[in-house]
Amino acid sequence: MSGAEKDRFGLGWRPELAAGIMANLDRIDVVEVIAEDCFEAPPALLTGLRALGRQCPIVLHGVGLGAASTSPIDAKRAEAIARAIDAVAPESWSEHLAFVRAGEIEIGHLAAPPRAPATVDGAARNLAAAARITGAAPLVENVATLIDPPGSTFDELGWLTAILDATPCDLLLDLHNLHANAINFGFDAGAVIARLPADRIRAIHVAGGSRVGGRILDDHLHDVPDPVFDLLAAVAQHATRPMTVILERDGSYPAMHVLLDEIDRARAALARGRRVRA
Amino acid sequence: MSRPAFEAFLARLYVDADFRAAFLADPIGVARAQALDETEGAALAAIDRQGLLLAADSFAHKRAAGAKRRRRAP
Repeated sequence: MSGAEKDRFGLGWRPELAAGIMANLDRIDVVEVIAEDCFEAPPALLTGLRALGRQCPIVLHGVGLGAASTSPIDAKRAEAIARAIDAVAPESWSEHLAFVRAGEIEIGHLAAPPRAPATVDGAARNLAAAARITGAAPLVENVATLIDPPGSTFDELGWLTAILDATPCDLLLDLHNLHANAINFGFDAGAVIARLPADRIRAIHVAGGSRVGGRILDDHLHDVPDPVFDLLAAVAQHATRPMTVILERDGSYPAMHVLLDEIDRARAALARGRRVRA
Repeated sequence: MSRPAFEAFLARLYVDADFRAAFLADPIGVARAQALDETEGAALAAIDRQGLLLAADSFAHKRAAGAKRRRRAP
């Protein structure tokens, strides 16, 4: 697997967006495919994604491994990711720093674990196991949370940094997740970006969310808000490596040109930051 | 802090409405009944209650949406 040699901008593949993606590959540099969408996919879908990969780089994104936990990951899930990697031939793969199940209870989504030394150690063990099974270390993504994770002894920056220190995994920095947590829990997202290890930030997610009960829910159902584009410019000032920037949208799909315009806004924001750095 | 039993407690808190109601009425007592230690009980007593309710609601919506998708799948 390899990484980007220049800044690239793309979109998360969803069945509802497939035709629009295929029709606009001149404006999309890279496509992100959800790993779990490949697990029991009909052969025609996998063939189609592989064909897409010959026209445009693909990156694979896992949502169900639950790597940031004191419990071991399910090897069968990691093996399924390995099969998805074989089927789709992505450039790289990524997974969230979340727990999604515990004590045989499926939470149903990405939960922020206690930010504590035990989950740093657990994540390091689990990510090493995942890398052994799949043949490549994943990029790791920070998650959004509506609840300040109980039992935490680190702040978000300290916990992320500790995991990057403990693993060979680079960071997929989700800027809407960071923005949501900053608003929800009252910290400065820009200051976090400035203190993250710049050479470990390799990919970016941008998305939109909504307000619930005075907090921001990262629902991927809305346009990317302006502060997220400002954070993207801040990343570009701080980090020198080429970035792969992916727009995530999971529903309430607008016309394709709206999504393409958001990708163009991301291009402009990153270029703005790069210019400031230069 | 954090160990599998603590994460399992959190997972149950996020998905089980009756357990969550009992916990919110008596956090320390419910933590003790689940054999969590004093440090874990203290962390849970200080839980972000608004966040817990919002997160539980969000997870419930996600589980419902996931079940709907699975029913639609061939």
